[in-house]
Amino acid sequence: MKWMPTCKAVTELASRTMDQRLPFTDHLTLRVHLAMCRNCTRFMQQLHEMRRLFRVETAADDGAPGLPPEARQRIATELQKKLDS
Amino acid sequence: MFPGELMETLDPYTWLAEHGDYLFRVARRQLRSDELAEDAVQETLLAALAARARYSGNASPRTWLTAILKHKIVDLIRRQVRETGIPRNDDGDENWEALFQADGHWAEPLPAWRNPQSEAELGELRRVLNECADRLKPAMAQVFSLREVAGMETEEICKELGISSTNCWVLLHRARLFLRECLELNGFSGAISS
Repeated sequence: MKWMPTCKAVTELASRTMDQRLPFTDHLTLRVHLAMCRNCTRFMQQLHEMRRLFRVETAADDGAPGLPPEARQRIATELQKKLDS
Repeated sequence: MFPGELMETLDPYTWLAEHGDYLFRVARRQLRSDELAEDAVQETLLAALAARARYSGNASPRTWLTAILKHKIVDLIRRQVRETGIPRNDDGDENWEALFQADGHWAEPLPAWRNPQSEAELGELRRVLNECADRLKPAMAQVFSLREVAGMETEEICKELGISSTNCWVLLHRARLFLRECLELNGFSGAISS
């Protein structure tokens, strides 16, 4: 990573820092760039916001159908078979 | 032999009754298919039954079952990838370069996202979120949902799916660029009335 990276390169660091602890120099490069760049700062914030929204969405059970009764019956039968064997 | 309570947490019918719906919903979100989600639940409970002697009782049954479910989901995704022959190196047709100028600066300024002010507005944003997620290319959607929906670590995802970590990062990064763009184009940056 060059010392003065482009926004494009910084978006890669921004994405990666969502998944992994960055090496120190990359971390510094990212922070220095974010301090100067409004667009990349927004990008970083929006990555966090997307993560938050997906978490909320995953936790929300409203409206999502549950296990259908036929499947439930079938699974119970399979469990019984396994217990009997 | 067992205290009654532990006996109950080890009963597969109790798992099915109490956690069946939950496991199904988690699986369905990631597999995007009722049929595959049912298979995932069944395989999870059968695996749990086979492994129940090793269940320590430290984690709640739901946590324990969910951990097993994640592996079953990955198995099913892997099988699906093989069956449909989705290329592992799917880098999509989107023109990523168009997001940036030749010198690497953003081509367009990024507008701020709005803060939903009402239930209706929030509902609308959730709808857009799900629609955009559905439009991810399969290879990207798999990695992205394992990371952001199932909350798995990238290392674990790469290992389970048998892809290189570089490939994993690229898929995640592109998924995020695509999603951000899609959300913005579909109302996330709607005019903020002040």
